[in-house]
Amino acid sequence: MIAYNKTWLTNLLLQDEVKKDAAQGYITPVELKTIEDKYPVGFYTPNLFVRIGLFILTCVIVSFAQGLLSLMAASGDLIESFGWFIFLGATAYIALELMVNGKFHYRSGVDDALLVIAGSQIAGGMAMVFYKSSQSGVDFFLVFSAIVLVLGVFLTLRFTDMLMSAFSCVAFLGLVFLLWLKVIPAGLATAPFAMMVLAAGTYWLAFTNHQKKRYVHYQNCLVVVQIISLLVLYAAGNYFVIQTLSTEMAGKTGPVPFGLVFWVWTVLLPFVYIYVGIYKKNTILLRTGLLLIAGAAITVRNYMHLMPIDRMLTLVGVVILVIVYGISKYLKTPQHGYTLAEPDEANLMDHLKVESLIAAGTFSHAPAAPAPESGTKFGGGSFGGGGSSGDF
Amino acid sequence: MTDKLYETLHAEGLIGDESLAKIRLKQQQTPLFSLHWEVRTLLYIGVLLLTTGLGILIYENIDTIGHQFVLAFIALICGGSFFYCFKHKMPFSVGKVKAPNSFFDYILLLACISMLIFVGYLQYEYKVFGTNYGLATLIPMLVLFYVAYQFDHLGILSMAIANLAVWMGVSVTPKQLLLNSDFDSTTIIYTYLILGIVLLVAALITQRYVFKPHFKFSYQHYGLHVTYIALLAAYFHFYESGLALVAMAALAGLSYWMYTDSFKHKSFYFLLLVVLYSYIALSSLVIRVLVSKINEAGFELAALYFIGSGVGFIMLLINLNKKLKTA
Repeated sequence: MIAYNKTWLTNLLLQDEVKKDAAQGYITPVELKTIEDKYPVGFYTPNLFVRIGLFILTCVIVSFAQGLLSLMAASGDLIESFGWFIFLGATAYIALELMVNGKFHYRSGVDDALLVIAGSQIAGGMAMVFYKSSQSGVDFFLVFSAIVLVLGVFLTLRFTDMLMSAFSCVAFLGLVFLLWLKVIPAGLATAPFAMMVLAAGTYWLAFTNHQKKRYVHYQNCLVVVQIISLLVLYAAGNYFVIQTLSTEMAGKTGPVPFGLVFWVWTVLLPFVYIYVGIYKKNTILLRTGLLLIAGAAITVRNYMHLMPIDRMLTLVGVVILVIVYGISKYLKTPQHGYTLAEPDEANLMDHLKVESLIAAGTFSHAPAAPAPESGTKFGGGSFGGGGSSGDF
Repeated sequence: MTDKLYETLHAEGLIGDESLAKIRLKQQQTPLFSLHWEVRTLLYIGVLLLTTGLGILIYENIDTIGHQFVLAFIALICGGSFFYCFKHKMPFSVGKVKAPNSFFDYILLLACISMLIFVGYLQYEYKVFGTNYGLATLIPMLVLFYVAYQFDHLGILSMAIANLAVWMGVSVTPKQLLLNSDFDSTTIIYTYLILGIVLLVAALITQRYVFKPHFKFSYQHYGLHVTYIALLAAYFHFYESGLALVAMAALAGLSYWMYTDSFKHKSFYFLLLVVLYSYIALSSLVIRVLVSKINEAGFELAALYFIGSGVGFIMLLINLNKKLKTA
């Protein structure tokens, strides 16, 4: 199913893993070299700057090639029809397949650009078909999210792309939400609970599977699904979201029924995320929780004016700084497996990378921890030391 | 979890006994869970909220507090921060100097920002420098450059470069440069050009005399963008006159210089910039020819040009990348 050479993908993951250990000095450079020779990767994957350049240039080429085609077709009234967009998308998709299969491009900027162009053009063309025939806005979005879902899942499976998996996940949750509203009589009142269950289920599925060897090439995609389902899980019970939606879709104003439940959800869930994230050493939960505190704060502020904004900001700022000071002081030397030292790699989500590959190992559900410190760095990192100065 | 991986690699004879033992030892340790970035982000947000809150608080109550008090308060923050920095500073060196602790950089930044606010406030409220704006921007600039070199702070170097641009009568941040600038004025184009060349020369000197060589990137980054944009602007401004040709020739020369330089120092970033800016310049020349000579089939030819040249530049970029890696 995957368009890229699977052996190379596996070797790439293996090389990444070994390179991390080599960088920390567990493996000698000579050994690294022999491993790289034994498990070669034939992809064309340039560095970030070249990737950006190739992305821009590919977009230029595709837009002018398609513009030229459209200009030629304009005389025959072809471009008026939805089929034209699908046709253009199809040409981009064919180009993508050729680049991936023939030239072995992998995350090179060329395949990224072609994937985005092909996906959006095909989805846009198909949406045009239904836009004319659908009765209402809800119907249209129902069909549209179904289109995006099918297309997104296909492109995710074929190209293991994180952006496409994000689109698919959002489309899936949106589709179920709209269907629920349409099919269930008291849809809007029960939708929050349905969405909570659905988002939690999606998260659980993604979480339990993202460490499995079977889905090892989709690990990054499953991480994206986890983040999105956690965000939707929060939004499903957020007071502001529910009230806005019920006003928009049913014209209901005034307080939401079961308001207390949703208030508790709005305020407490981010802290639950953070607590579980720290307790289970799960970076995704922890960071999502930290992000959602802002959401909770804005929601509360929207309904209750406790004090003027300036005093609020000052107070919160002081509280955060006190907390940071406390943490830095407490973790000056690592405690209970927590540290303030810089992780050895500046990865987006620290430990998204694979742990084990060529050997069928038993996988525990506990997420892997980021790369541990080498012995010399143990006594508190550069950051922890700062806590003692107490000057801030 | 990785033990099986390494055992297989060991069995295949790819890693030695010693490395396997090291890996085994590592796996027995409980890995530490790093909260580094979370706590750093919190610190940043906390500082941001606190300063915003205090700022609004002062702004709302300016009538009761009075300007002198506010000025004194800012001066206190500024002085205190600088005092801390001078007390804890590392000895000066022409190479890289590591900050004594990770709060140091933030405090230095606070000191510089409050210094700028202080000067700005003085000028706005009391017109200390009168209409002598050159002096009002020159002093903070000199201080910033001094601080950047003394404490080895790249962020403050960027602030100093921006201040240099302000002093020369323009603003150098790329967004404002593209949005607000009136490119039709000749003086502005010349000012940009001089600024860009000064920065590029600064990069060259930094490199040649090995004086804070890691500052070279900042100088070259700003210098390159400013010079390229100024040359392109000059080209379009003097479109009809012979100066346009001069601007294009200068651009070609700059591209060649930066091209060799990026190869010398293996910089993918500057290589990408050279390729993209040269592509824009070349395209504007080609379009000019196409528009002037052929009227009917102009668009088709232009589209064909972009398709062909796009493919060509992709090949070029890929090849240059390969060359740079092996160079």
